[in-house]
Order: sequence, then structure tokens, then C-alpha cells
Amino acid sequence: MLSLCHVTKLYGSVIGVNDVTVELGTGAHGLLGPNGAGKTTFLGLVTGQLRASIGEVKVFGEPPFANPRVLARIGFCPAADLTERHATPRQWVRYLVQLSGYSPAAAAVRAERALEQVGLGEAILRPLGTLSKGMRQRAKLAGAMAHEPDLLVLDEPFDGLDPLARHELVGLVRRWAVDRSLLVASHLLHEIEALKAGLVVILGGRLVASGTVGEIRDLVESLPTELRVVCDEPRRLAEKTCQSAAAESLRFEGENVLIVGTRSPQALAERIAAGALEAGIMVRELVPGDRSLEGLFGRLVHLHRGVAP
Amino acid sequence: MTTTNTIGTMPPPPAADAQPLPRGTLLAAVLAVAGFQLRRLFTLPRLAIAALGVLFPAAVLMAVRKTLSGSMDGTVVVILYALIPEALCMLGLLVTMCPAVADELERGTWAHIAVRPHGRRALLLGTFLAAVAWTAAVAILALCLALAVSGMAHPWRRFPLFAALVGLSCLGRAALFALPAVIVPKRALVASVGVAIVVEYLAGFLPAVVNQLTVSLRLRSLLVQGMGWGRQMPAGMQLLIDTNPVWVQCGAVVLLAGVLLVASVLILDRRQFPPSEEG
Repeated sequence: MLSLCHVTKLYGSVIGVNDVTVELGTGAHGLLGPNGAGKTTFLGLVTGQLRASIGEVKVFGEPPFANPRVLARIGFCPAADLTERHATPRQWVRYLVQLSGYSPAAAAVRAERALEQVGLGEAILRPLGTLSKGMRQRAKLAGAMAHEPDLLVLDEPFDGLDPLARHELVGLVRRWAVDRSLLVASHLLHEIEALKAGLVVILGGRLVASGTVGEIRDLVESLPTELRVVCDEPRRLAEKTCQSAAAESLRFEGENVLIVGTRSPQALAERIAAGALEAGIMVRELVPGDRSLEGLFGRLVHLHRGVAP
Repeated sequence: MTTTNTIGTMPPPPAADAQPLPRGTLLAAVLAVAGFQLRRLFTLPRLAIAALGVLFPAAVLMAVRKTLSGSMDGTVVVILYALIPEALCMLGLLVTMCPAVADELERGTWAHIAVRPHGRRALLLGTFLAAVAWTAAVAILALCLALAVSGMAHPWRRFPLFAALVGLSCLGRAALFALPAVIVPKRALVASVGVAIVVEYLAGFLPAVVNQLTVSLRLRSLLVQGMGWGRQMPAGMQLLIDTNPVWVQCGAVVLLAGVLLVASVLILDRRQFPPSEEG
């Protein structure tokens, strides 16, 4: 469906994406990365808004930039909020469908159907400026879907939605991806997980991992993590901890902190607690390493660069 | 280090004849944009500004009538020309044509339009049509009102000439302002004012070949020919007009507009706006 071959995008001296090579087949894919990772640039290249400085981008076998044949098959919902004030959702979506080549009458039918689908049926006559951010988000989504593209590209599509609306739209997008292709950018892992999409992880403009959610989780689990133990006698506790095969490295921070590297944090935490109890050592804190998405990204970067965390 | 990542199944690239062609035509998309842009212009503030534009030339003419006495048809014609095809059309187009791209970037709508098959071209050409239609409509209304209060003998005989000047002014100047709109979208207004001063009012009044490339020379020449002033003009003044026939003047403006529009479309086709410039 789409391929990027050694693609680099430069904005002057700033790198948007850096030497990315990836091929995505038909189906649903999530593009995961923190803010500023290069997701929007990646999507800009795929949707033909940007041209690669180096390398080659192909969508449906052709470069998308300034290519009406490819663009006719793409629907795009950008992350930026829609600040069009006076148009109603119906006018806006109909306008976009007309730009995709439909007659005014056909565009009106498709626009209304798409707005019904995203749950905006009762607000189609209200000016966009009077709608909440979540409702404008739905209008944007309807605009991207209404001409029934073969590839739907969504940039942070669930921003500003309440949990119920998010749940509804995740379901809608998931149903969409059953027989068509989907590429969703998000900085929230659970959003991509909910879409049951394959994952491409991007950080600092570089592609650091790709695969299914399960494969990425396994990869992350296989990376060493650290346990931070604050106690009265860290050296005695270290002696106890060393007896466990799960402990891969030890170091001290200041007088009271012991840092233990491990690939089995759960088992080691239990072993440390038991050891401390046995030796009568007062443990004040036992904190696992950073398991947040940022932490995950950090560890993937370390893996990508071939250095220990 | 570069990794190659393949996810999902890669279908074989479809044969060229299997790929669906864009369903829309450029013309349909252009008309859609023109309609949408005109709807954007129908807001109270815009209508109020347009109403001022309609009233202003008539108000000036009434003031002039009170000041001057005797036959003043020639003076009125010159004032009408300066106020309507020149000033009013220029101002109207500055407001409607210059923000063609900048408005979309600001409203966060550029990305929605740029991913449509003919989105970029349709945006420029549709905005051009809307700008010409809106400005010409305001100018024609202003012309009607101004002729009605002008106090000239047979004022409506001047209407065809001035309507043609308005049409050509809008066509040529809108195309001229399309260039700054696509080259420096965020500074388009300032750049267009600069272009108007340097090209239209500096180069346009130079008695040199360069003035052949300006709209103002064509409009002046048409005015002089339409009013039959050619032979009465002093030799020095005749350097500032072109004596070619009417069809040459009109054709030159249409050709100039066409060239400027094609250049603008080609530039916009290749323009890239980093995500930081949008929204």
C-alpha cells in the first residue's frame, strides 16, 4: 500500500524524518511517537503534502506528491483544529467531497451520510465556530471519510473527544479498516491498541520499531529495566539481591539508594522484598523503572542505537 | 543504521489501467471553491466594507460637483476612472485575492484541501474567480451609483466602457496578486501592495517597453480610446498610452492574466508548508 525508502525530510537545517525505510501493506497501522517525533511529517509525506528531501515515497505504487491519481484514493484528517467559523459541518464536508470530484448533489448525500456516521447528524446546520472541539473533530473525520477513500490517514484523530465519543469513533474507524486501509498517528499507545492496528514507532524523526502491538510489547519486555530501592542499608540489601539470577546489574546512588537492572522486574521485586524482610532491612521505597510510553520510547531508542539503558 | 520494516501483506502494485482515475474534473473543483469562497465573503463585516466601497465613489463625485461649476464631464470621467477601476478594484482584490493561501493555512484548512486530487489548483483558481466576481460586483454597483449622481450628460453611455475597464482591471490585478499569494502567503498583502506600486504605478507610467506588461497601461489606453481623447492629448501625454486597437489592449490583459495564473498554479503545485506553518 505504501512504502518509504531511505526517506529524509529536511526543513532547512531541521530534520523532520531521518532515513526512514518502511513498507506497510493493506490494513490498519498505527504510527506511534511522542510530540515532535516526526509523525505529522511522516503523514505529510504519505499524503502528498510534502516531498522527501532524500529517498522515495510511494503510495499505491506511485509518488503521492502532486499526483491526483493517488490523492483521489486518500482521505486525510489533520491534527490541526479546524478554525473555519461560519460554514456548517454539512457545507464543509460537502465542499471537501466536491473537491474530490463529486457533483454537488452526490457530495451532499455523501456528506450527510458521513456526518451521520460520526454522530454529528443533529448538528449539521450549526456553524462550525459554535461547535465544541470534539464536534469539530468529528466533522474533520467525516470530511476525510465521506468520499470513501482506499486509504484513510488520521493524525491524532481522537484529541478533544470525551471517553464515550472516543469509544464510538474508535469503533467506527475500526469497522472502516475491515476492508480498507488505515494509518493513524497518535502519541497514546492505548488508542492504537484499541484499533487493533500494526505499529510503527517513530522518535526523533527515526523509525525505532515496527510490528504488531504484541511484538512491540515483547520487545520492550525483553529490554532490561531498573528497580530503584530506597532503604537504610543498601549494601546489605545488594548482597541479598545478588543471590537472585534475575539481577543483572547493581549500582548505588548516594547513601540510601540501590538501583538494580533486570529483565524480570516482578520476580526481582518480590525477591528484594523477601530478602529485606529476612535481613530486617527497612525498605522505604521500591519503584520499578519508567514503564510509561516515554520510558518505552527511551528504551526503544537505546535498543535502536545498540546501547544499554 | 537503517532498518527495513515490512508490516502486513504487500499487494502487488496495481497495473496502471487498474488504478481509478480521479473522479472529478478541475473545473468542478474550481467552481466548488469559488462558491465556498463567495459564501465566506457574505458576512456582515465584509458586506459592510463592500457597502462602503459602493458608496465612496458616489460621495466623492457629489463633493466634486459642489466644488466645480460648468461642464465637468471630463473631470468626472477621470475621477470615476481613478476611483473605480483603479482604487476600488485594487483594494477589493487586495482583500479577497491576497489571502488565498494564507487564510487556509491560518484556518487549518490547507491540509484538507491540499490532499484533494486538484485541491491546490482549484483553491487558487476558485479564489481567483470569487475575488473577480465579488470585486467586479462591488465595482459595478459603485459605478451605477456614481453615474447616477455624476451630473454628466448621458451618464449611462459611459457604462459599457467603465464596466469593461472594471472587468479587465479585476481580471489582470487578481492574477497579478495571485503571485505574491502563493510565493509569500503570510506576507501576501504587503507584497501585493509593493507589486501594485512598483509594477502598476511605477513601471506602468514609464515611457518604456516595460509598461507594455502592465494592466494600468491597457486600462488608460482603453479609457483614452473609449473617450476619443487620443488626438486632443499633448504629445508628452501620448507616451503614457498605447495606440493599438481595443482588441489588442483586451487581449494583452487576458494574456497577461493567463500567464500570471499559470505561473501561480505551477508554483502552488510545488509549494510545501511545514506543519509548523499551519493552524
